[in-house]
Amino acid sequence: MTDPGPDEPLEHEPSLPPPPRRAELGRLGEAAIASILAARDTYGLFVRSLYYTVRGRREPGAVVRQMYEIGNRSLVFVCIVMGFIGMILVYQGGLQTKRVVPDLSQLGATFLEVLVRDLGASICALMLATRVGAGIAAELGSMAVTEQLDALRLCAADPVDYLVKPRFLASVVMVLVLTVISSSAAYATGMFGAQLFFGINPRTFVNFALVDAVDVATGLTKCIAYGAAIPLISAQAGFAATRGSEGVGTATTHAVVRSSLAVIALDFLISGAFWVAFGDGSE
Amino acid sequence: MIAFRGISKAFGERRILDDVSFEAERGEILFVIGASGVGKSVLIKQVVGFIRPDRGRILVDGEDVTDFEERDFARIRKRCAMVFQHATLFDAMTCVENVALPLAKHRRLDQRQALSEARALLARVHVEAFAERYPGELGDGLRKRVAIARALSLEPEVILFDEPTTGLDPVNARRVDRLIAELSEKARVTSLVVSHDLTSIFTIAHRIVMLYKGKVRLIGSPEDFRQSTDAVVRQFVRGEAQGPFET
Repeated sequence: MTDPGPDEPLEHEPSLPPPPRRAELGRLGEAAIASILAARDTYGLFVRSLYYTVRGRREPGAVVRQMYEIGNRSLVFVCIVMGFIGMILVYQGGLQTKRVVPDLSQLGATFLEVLVRDLGASICALMLATRVGAGIAAELGSMAVTEQLDALRLCAADPVDYLVKPRFLASVVMVLVLTVISSSAAYATGMFGAQLFFGINPRTFVNFALVDAVDVATGLTKCIAYGAAIPLISAQAGFAATRGSEGVGTATTHAVVRSSLAVIALDFLISGAFWVAFGDGSE
Repeated sequence: MIAFRGISKAFGERRILDDVSFEAERGEILFVIGASGVGKSVLIKQVVGFIRPDRGRILVDGEDVTDFEERDFARIRKRCAMVFQHATLFDAMTCVENVALPLAKHRRLDQRQALSEARALLARVHVEAFAERYPGELGDGLRKRVAIARALSLEPEVILFDEPTTGLDPVNARRVDRLIAELSEKARVTSLVVSHDLTSIFTIAHRIVMLYKGKVRLIGSPEDFRQSTDAVVRQFVRGEAQGPFET
């Protein structure tokens, strides 16, 4: 019996299951389409939140309540995390700097510039993406699966006006406030660490020389962008929740993952835009 | 008043409703019955635009609402209230605030006036003593009655009830039945009631529509259902475990 060549068909081909690659591609495609649709819905929420900010109901109490939920209740968590991060960054930064130059007098100035321009807002927003994003998605997701959103529509109350707008406005304000407070905490612990590990005098460490208007503008822009993105992405995930408690769990996971990714992506885009517009600020 | 013409609806591969047609007249109490998951709730939610049919038309007082935009439904939702299966009150609001919400939004009453009217509505369903309580502090029966007060707030012509007596004790269930019957008799409110509660069905229904495997199996009076020779219908209305009824 002769062995058939590579191009010759076998006399009896066994029936095989479809190649797994097709199913995997299908799943990838589904995930991509779901992400695009979620992004489109989030953009729709953004536009409608802006519209209702101008034209919607006036209820300052709702915004203040959300400011308390988002801001006051996150304060301790964010400050503790930023406090530790401040000390770690100064310690690691000091160690690396000492390998190149023995002079650490610019450590405080450099650390402050990095905090103001990038890390203060970004790390604070990543913390809030987990705490606030999960909370919003769980709350709105529970309302979606228990038909409370339908009940709101039945009462002629648009869920975006009623539920999303107060969280959107409160988040924009409170991300800024929390960033300022938690960055101060990070700088204070950094100063303490600098003295403890490297013997840097606090008067030397506190140095505003490297912080300019562009750094402040970059940081402010990031605070506003993160503050807007986290509640909108989380609300979209919550609104899309289906199938009871399992759906609420999935919505919460989506909210945290997508909000965190959005913070990183916005950080990159805003930093890039300011770099293109104003350079790296070294001149 | 409300007409379903050839309604079909599928979720993915699963066809829920298949060419369903019937009408409910003004002041009528029409029960929609059938096995769990047969599409009863899906059917009534289409009246107020929460779910859209794949095929067929829905008419409210002769007006075709099938292709309405979301904003167009505000007008329909003012005339057609809904009481959800789990009452669906807003947890962050007191009972009186829950009832006042549609008054403030639809009728644009100021908050004080809306709250005053809401208290009167709570009195109408005998729960005024719980006006300042939060829904989480109340039992199912009381929550359901607050939800009915909210549904009544706009003096609707139609109320869609999604399993109004499910989870209630027999006394509270009969109180809800009496309320639905009073609305029909005194205010000529059309009630479209999704229910499994055989006592309710045979106490207050004017007519009954039975859905089975996505289609209308029988439309008729409670007497027609009692007298039916259809084995599937007979098994369902007698609540028997053995028989041809498939779920």
